[in-house]
Amino acid sequence: MRLKGLALVATLLSGTSALAQEPLDIVFTVHSGASNTFWQAVQKGFEDGCTKLAANCQMVYVQTDGSVQEQVANMEAAIARNPDALLTSIVDNNAFDDVIKRARDAGIIVIASNVDDLEGAAGNARQAFIGQGFVPAGYSLAQAQWKNMPAEGDLHILVGVSAPGQNWSEQRALGVTNFLDEQIAANPDRKITYEKIDSGTDLATVGDRVGAYLSANPNTNAYFDTGFWHAAVGRVLADRGVEPGKVLLGGFDLVPEVLEQMKAGYVQVQVDQQPYMQGFMPVMQVYLAKTVGLAPADIDTGQGIVTPDMVDAIMELSAKGLR
Amino acid sequence: MRRLLKLALQKPELAATLLLLLMVLFFQVRSGGVFLDYNNLRGILGFLPEMALVAIGVTLLMIAGEFDLSVGSVFALSPMTMAVLMVAGWSFWPAFLVALLACVVVGLLNGWLTIWFDIPSFITTLGMMFMARSMTVVVSGGFPPRLDFELIPEHLFVAYVGPGEMFRASFLWLVAIAVIVGMLLSRTNFGNWVRATGGFLPAAQAMGIPTHRVKLACFVICSVLAGLAGIIQVLRLGSPLPSLGMGYELQAVSAAVIGGTSLSGGIGSIIGGIIGATLIRVIDNGMVMSQIDGTWFQFAVGALTIFAVVGNAWLRKRGRAMKVETDPK
Repeated sequence: MRLKGLALVATLLSGTSALAQEPLDIVFTVHSGASNTFWQAVQKGFEDGCTKLAANCQMVYVQTDGSVQEQVANMEAAIARNPDALLTSIVDNNAFDDVIKRARDAGIIVIASNVDDLEGAAGNARQAFIGQGFVPAGYSLAQAQWKNMPAEGDLHILVGVSAPGQNWSEQRALGVTNFLDEQIAANPDRKITYEKIDSGTDLATVGDRVGAYLSANPNTNAYFDTGFWHAAVGRVLADRGVEPGKVLLGGFDLVPEVLEQMKAGYVQVQVDQQPYMQGFMPVMQVYLAKTVGLAPADIDTGQGIVTPDMVDAIMELSAKGLR
Repeated sequence: MRRLLKLALQKPELAATLLLLLMVLFFQVRSGGVFLDYNNLRGILGFLPEMALVAIGVTLLMIAGEFDLSVGSVFALSPMTMAVLMVAGWSFWPAFLVALLACVVVGLLNGWLTIWFDIPSFITTLGMMFMARSMTVVVSGGFPPRLDFELIPEHLFVAYVGPGEMFRASFLWLVAIAVIVGMLLSRTNFGNWVRATGGFLPAAQAMGIPTHRVKLACFVICSVLAGLAGIIQVLRLGSPLPSLGMGYELQAVSAAVIGGTSLSGGIGSIIGGIIGATLIRVIDNGMVMSQIDGTWFQFAVGALTIFAVVGNAWLRKRGRAMKVETDPK
């Protein structure tokens, strides 16, 4: 046993010493602009992981949020540098196939993080996906919020698709509507309806649009956002003197303004995908692959349902950039 | 009467007003009468000052013959600077002034680079758009600071005021600033210089107008108004996110053009810019009210915006073509 332990330590040390001579070179290309708060937690995880391994790392954002062509260009540039690993979010099912294949052919480890091809591993040559399953996450969100909805009578629900056409947003919305469709089928005696709108990715715009919708449809019981922008809706409801809980709000990702609206009672349920982990874990997987030859493996970073009673503890982690 | 109608149609801001009224009527009918509902109107009027303040600055600068694409980024940089300073222990007013000073610096840089190196402001401010956005992320470390609203005189910026608490204080800021800039443009030498500089630069220079200083002043005013608008939005929404104001630069240019400002400079009015901004907000809001399918939403907003500009141009053309009797001498 002792010998085995010594052998493992020796293996890791030899790996570390190899790394000390030639640090790992890892590039992380994402589909977001640097100003998206969510990605700062991913970057922190990525950089912390790299610091621990003394790896040479670079996070590359796009100038235009969601621009697939910019992201592909960034990946091309990264491949030309021949890094040890390429981490990337796969927000399109076809656009990244070729560039990922060429990276793999060049011996570069490719791991998807945050968003994956809809076909998963069959969609392209990436070796693993570390992130949230968006459809199940949407489903979990709706399921968790369902417990807060009136048990009887008609229900009308609004689903805000933050970025129509983008995998992450469409799939989360699909998860929500899948659950709602099930409830419609399971409750034939109740009139349960839902509607989808293009809600936007700017707090002021989302507040205005959803506010307008609520004026036109005062019978709305709940609003689901595929991002965190429903925090602005909480503000709108407070301004209108609507009591917390009258229109239920839920969405994804933990950012300070959502946590504050949860404390105020306007947001009841939030799904956390632990972005720090999405930055940190791929780096560790690259390390293990390079040093001891372990194959990168999928990690579900969670569909953790966060409720208002958990906010104080999360705010501490949020202040440290960990959640 | 016909003469009055001709004059009215030829005024770009009046044609835009007509279109705005038409849109309001359309959405009021389409939404089953709830578009002008108290809460919805209050929502539109709460958001409007932020967009309109940016539009005022951009309109003024466009009349002077220049563009500013960095306003969306300055919109985020200014409140972020203020928030970071406040988290560092500064009180509100000094932090507020330093934030606006940062906007002055951005405006001066935009103007200086454009004028002294004789490069199109489209390029200068495009570069500044990226730089200012990046600075916003850098100063915040990527994570939005939490503002202590007990230290902020919110009542001066975003508290509800007026009859039935229909408006926010920001609306009063908008009115005051619109009047000041409007007067500046129409009643002062500076206003004439701005129009002359944007209208025909060589002639303005030949007349001895300090065109460089005029443009520089317009760049600074534009930046400061964008920064002030950003601060107002953060005080309203409570979150100094680094992504604030993305895309506002194009909306502001659209607002100015819809309001009758010429892309080549020299022509335009502040009220036109405000009406343009209002029209954009009304279209966006009204589309939601009209329950447009999410996947068609942007198409519909785009189509209505084009309709607004085409309608505006058509009305002006009709106005010009309208024949009126001249007084017999």
